[in-house]
Amino acid sequence: MQRSPFPPPNAKSPELFHPRPQHISQVPHLRSPPLPNQPQQQPPVNSYGNPYGSPPMQQGQGGMENAYGQQYVNGFMNDPNAQMGLQIGKSAMMTGAHYMEQNLNRYVSVSALKHYFNVSNSYVVRKLLLVLLPWRHRPWTRQQTRLHAGHDGSSPQYSNMYLPPRDDLNSPDMYIPIMSLITYILLSTVLAGIRGTFRPEILGSITTTSIVVIVFELLILRTAIYLLNITNESSLLDLAAYAGYKFVGVIVTLFLSEVFTGGRGTNNWIGWAIFLYTWNANSFFLLRSLKYVLLPDSSNDPALRGGANYTMARSQRNARTYSLFAYAYIFQLICMWALSREDGVAASVLGRANA
Amino acid sequence: MLFLFGFGKLIYISVLLLNAIAVLSEDRFLARIGMGRSAMAQENVGFGGPRQDPESVKSRLVNLISSIRMVTRVPLIAANVLIIVYEILLG
Repeated sequence: MQRSPFPPPNAKSPELFHPRPQHISQVPHLRSPPLPNQPQQQPPVNSYGNPYGSPPMQQGQGGMENAYGQQYVNGFMNDPNAQMGLQIGKSAMMTGAHYMEQNLNRYVSVSALKHYFNVSNSYVVRKLLLVLLPWRHRPWTRQQTRLHAGHDGSSPQYSNMYLPPRDDLNSPDMYIPIMSLITYILLSTVLAGIRGTFRPEILGSITTTSIVVIVFELLILRTAIYLLNITNESSLLDLAAYAGYKFVGVIVTLFLSEVFTGGRGTNNWIGWAIFLYTWNANSFFLLRSLKYVLLPDSSNDPALRGGANYTMARSQRNARTYSLFAYAYIFQLICMWALSREDGVAASVLGRANA
Repeated sequence: MLFLFGFGKLIYISVLLLNAIAVLSEDRFLARIGMGRSAMAQENVGFGGPRQDPESVKSRLVNLISSIRMVTRVPLIAANVLIIVYEILLG
């Protein structure tokens, strides 16, 4: 299809006196093709209609520059060299994307991750309030949607699919844990900067400490699930999300104790009081939320149970309850204490002066 | 320990703990305190069949410990040699 030249050929642009670059630019410009009758020399147009100027198109570009003088009147898209370059670029990008997608899907299931990030603003606000004030929240069970896989003659099968966090306040998400982890790292470094003990290595060491705490917690949880013979299929990402909610309490502890004690750290009365409150709130939240993971499903609908229709020995129920309690309270105490240790300004400055 | 992004101490700790689990003697120690694998098999004969065998905490713990020992025996040799060489060469 012929494209008529952009302004009518008799138009003349005014004479401009600023210097024009004479070199041939290798960067694709997203501009319309140049006017056919121009007194000055303009940099040639290398646009392939492709916003990513990808490198593996060397011969396409060379072809473009050679054919520029002859072919641009008809529009540069008719140039066979440009079209070959376009094809190569397209196939290269598609191969690259396909390769990455294949390899990524082997390690991380992206669709499952998307479920965890499907949050809304109101969900985030209500969930944060829930983590800090879980005392009066009433129903803690996650809501499920039921899909009928209707076969003829047999009962409809319910596959348990949990509602995404957008629709269900009780569903764990990964947005809040990741955000609070990053906020915790930044807040710790800001506090270290305020009290004058900042070194660039503490960024890395705080990150490593936090990630090690989470990984350690997941290990302990996995071992406990195996030892107690818990057959609910609770995914690792769920447990990681619940483990990440403690950072909200740690951030609140650090921030409030810094504000209310005027920089004396968390090792004083106010710091300990705030820490004990957030630890209690976090443990209560975990206790209620993980009940459906560690203890058997107590709903009366046999179709929802997923097939595990057995009665457990009383000792097993007790063992599970005790271990849930121990995890929610005692283990979190250790973790949160490890994450919220801060010396006051005086102690750290004195420490540096003596060192 | 310099080049491991701060995981050096962590690797040392985990290797030392795994060593501690791996060197426990099966017949001299674990059987004495009732954690040997043969002890579980003998209990079975008495009951006439595994009743709550794979479900009690103790049997699962025994299984877990012995499988950890069996799996990490060879890689631990390699890890220990690496760490020893590292310590000798680089102080």
